[in-house]
Amino acid sequence: MPLNLSQPKRKNAISLTPLIDVVFILLLFFMLTSSFVPWRIVDTPLSMTPDTPKSEEEKDNIILTLKQNDAQVWVEDQAIRFADQAYFQTLIADHNEAIFIIKAEEGVTLQSLMQLADRLKLNGAKTVSIANAFAMPETK
Amino acid sequence: MKIGEKYAARAANKDDNMVPLINVVFLMLVFFMVAGQIQKADPIAVMPPYSINDTRAVTDPNVVIVVGSDDSDSLYVDDERFVLDEIQAYLEQQFTAAENKEAFWVQIKADGAISLEKLRPVFNQVRLAGLTKVSLATQLERGEE
Repeated sequence: MPLNLSQPKRKNAISLTPLIDVVFILLLFFMLTSSFVPWRIVDTPLSMTPDTPKSEEEKDNIILTLKQNDAQVWVEDQAIRFADQAYFQTLIADHNEAIFIIKAEEGVTLQSLMQLADRLKLNGAKTVSIANAFAMPETK
Repeated sequence: MKIGEKYAARAANKDDNMVPLINVVFLMLVFFMVAGQIQKADPIAVMPPYSINDTRAVTDPNVVIVVGSDDSDSLYVDDERFVLDEIQAYLEQQFTAAENKEAFWVQIKADGAISLEKLRPVFNQVRLAGLTKVSLATQLERGEE
């Protein structure tokens, strides 16, 4: 009677430990180097001669002044809340081609400035200039 | 012998209990690879202001200026600590060395909570250096509050 000498099928298992080592290292690398902040940029073109366009500026441009971080902006000596959608819509509709220049007083944060610029853009403003908010007080 | 075989089989698969761990680790790895963006870390942690603006930078900035929060006096230009008055000279030097002067732009990264007075001198330095292309870093707002 022939002997069945074929060896029983053995699962040739590969050790998982080196694999886990490598995967852990990869995981650590990606965890440490990944950034989830969706970075964007806002152009703030600086003019070389801030005084020259002044005569043109006064033609139809709207100057909005931020005085505090209270979600309010001053337009022609009138405090307007950022949430006042109707006012912004009328203002922008009335001055369709105007440049909306944002100025800021002391203590105003960058976030407030961005909030106002967003509000203007959301309501259809074509050109919003925030560069003036960064001008040194002497060059205003 | 039956008992011996059984024992041997179990011993060969001693890594079996690692499989769920590897599954989870692989999932995390895939998540970080797909969802994250690999980029150089800033010298200081900066939380840029939220904005609906969705403009992405087409090219990498030639110079990155990172402004620290109000209570700290830190100012980093291209990952090196700088004094405010030295920025102008550095920018001029970088601009002279740049190959494509038309596309030369400066990125300013600042915290959303920073007050604008802190940023004004930095912008002034850029202006004094004769550069006009400046961009502020923002982060995309995830919907209305």
